[in-house]
Amino acid sequence: MAEEIRAEMVASVWKVVAEQGATLLAGDTVVILESMKMEIPVLCEGPGILVEVAVVEGDVVQEGDLIAVLG
Amino acid sequence: MGLTGDNVTSLADAPVPVVDERDYRNPELRLENLFDPGSLRQISGRSTSGVVSARGTIKGGAAVGYATDATKMGGAMGSEGCRHIVDAIDIAVRERLPVIGLWHSGGARLAEGVEALDAVGLVFAAMVRASGRVPQISVVLGPAAGGAAYGPALTDLVVMGPAGRVFVTGPEVVRSVTGEDVDMERLGGPDTHGRRSGVVHVVTASEAEALDRARELTALLSQQGRFDVASVGPGADLSALLPPERQRAYDVKPLLAGILDAPPLELHVRWAPNIVTALGRLAGRTVGVIANNPLRLGGCLDSVSAEKAARFVRMCDAFGVPLVVIVDVPGYLPGVGQEWDGVVRRGAKLLHAFAEAVVPRVTLVTRKSFGGAYIAMNARSLGATTVFAWPTAEVAVMGAKAAVGILHRKKLAAAPVGEREALHARLADEHEKLAGGVNRALQLGVVDEVVAPVDTRRMLAEALAAAPPGRGAHGNIPL
Repeated sequence: MAEEIRAEMVASVWKVVAEQGATLLAGDTVVILESMKMEIPVLCEGPGILVEVAVVEGDVVQEGDLIAVLG
Repeated sequence: MGLTGDNVTSLADAPVPVVDERDYRNPELRLENLFDPGSLRQISGRSTSGVVSARGTIKGGAAVGYATDATKMGGAMGSEGCRHIVDAIDIAVRERLPVIGLWHSGGARLAEGVEALDAVGLVFAAMVRASGRVPQISVVLGPAAGGAAYGPALTDLVVMGPAGRVFVTGPEVVRSVTGEDVDMERLGGPDTHGRRSGVVHVVTASEAEALDRARELTALLSQQGRFDVASVGPGADLSALLPPERQRAYDVKPLLAGILDAPPLELHVRWAPNIVTALGRLAGRTVGVIANNPLRLGGCLDSVSAEKAARFVRMCDAFGVPLVVIVDVPGYLPGVGQEWDGVVRRGAKLLHAFAEAVVPRVTLVTRKSFGGAYIAMNARSLGATTVFAWPTAEVAVMGAKAAVGILHRKKLAAAPVGEREALHARLADEHEKLAGGVNRALQLGVVDEVVAPVDTRRMLAEALAAAPPGRGAHGNIPL
């Protein structure tokens, strides 16, 4: 089942770490957000292939916005 | 084993292993699996009442248990069954034993009408009488609906197996009233209550694991042990568990495992994950741990996490469990949603809970503690037993750069654009020397001592062991 990775808080996308098509393990970093003057890695929960990365560096995401889809 | 007798076959001259063929919903079987093997003694046996109660031992310590009988009218609660639950709770209070309830019940017995409602109310009243006096743990193994939903909710800790469902009104009523199409699992299953509502503290993958977790929680609360400071060996460099970049977020859980004797049993793992609440052992004694988790929401406090932590602090205080508070917090989460969600009202609960607590409670600032969140994380001013900080910790109203941005707003605005950044950095450095770092906090006495990461385990254990034990004289309202 696809896992949708969504933003937990308002933040800007500081770095996109994993590329579309990459095979990820649980706990791997997908992107790093910047908020509250901190760099906050967004990790995937399950293993899978990164089907989609919905953000680019510099984007501002709101709480609930889609960041990536893990297939 | 074999308490019912009727399902047990024996062959006179060829004994074979007896397969337990009882219905898995059999409340006696479930209680046998909760207690240590062979320790179960009936208080009230299986009958048409729909409730079985018993005493036994859990990891060697005496305990009381009751279970609804899902094989009788779906475990519906009538006046007789409710009386058995009330009796079991009253016995536990009288003998100061933990009491564990196993739930699988459709709610009040319709046929009994208002008599059943009255009886369910008496169960609630008994639970509240016992609140804060003896640990009450609920294990939800099947649907627990209506009145049976509030039974677990009134207790200290709720464990849910994969078949557990908790809701006030079922899918059919929901559909007829609101038109929402939802099944029992989505309405009140483990994912819903473990992640969204916070009703359930521990979600498990099997019924057996649910009973195991209930046993562990029972032992942690009822056999707390004593601090054996000498048992704390040479410490590891715990600072290695934090990333070298100061602004980088990280998962705090490996640090908690390194501070305690073993990884703790975490409560509310997926609900408000920006704060971690866990029960574990330090130097052999049960402690409660509250820690910001920078990996989630940067470790900010918000309305839900404040409420989660407040309830945990009050539970630990009610049962005399000392607290270890691990702080790395950038502040309260800003936002319209937070304010409208009552971050002020719910954040106040955490302030109240810490300030009220009489158990030994020691704070460690690992990296930073800013602003209002600094106070809420068991600051000296709220009555912390001891406040430690690692050498590189920052304790301040806010980070130096943000602070000078406000304090020197006009000066910065007046500076030529090209020099603004350099001026900002220089002012921040000066501010840091004056107001930041940990030195000012030490001078003020709001941090007692700087501890090296390698000495942290021993220092925490010593500080807690040296403090006079306390136990709050209050109930544990499910905040």
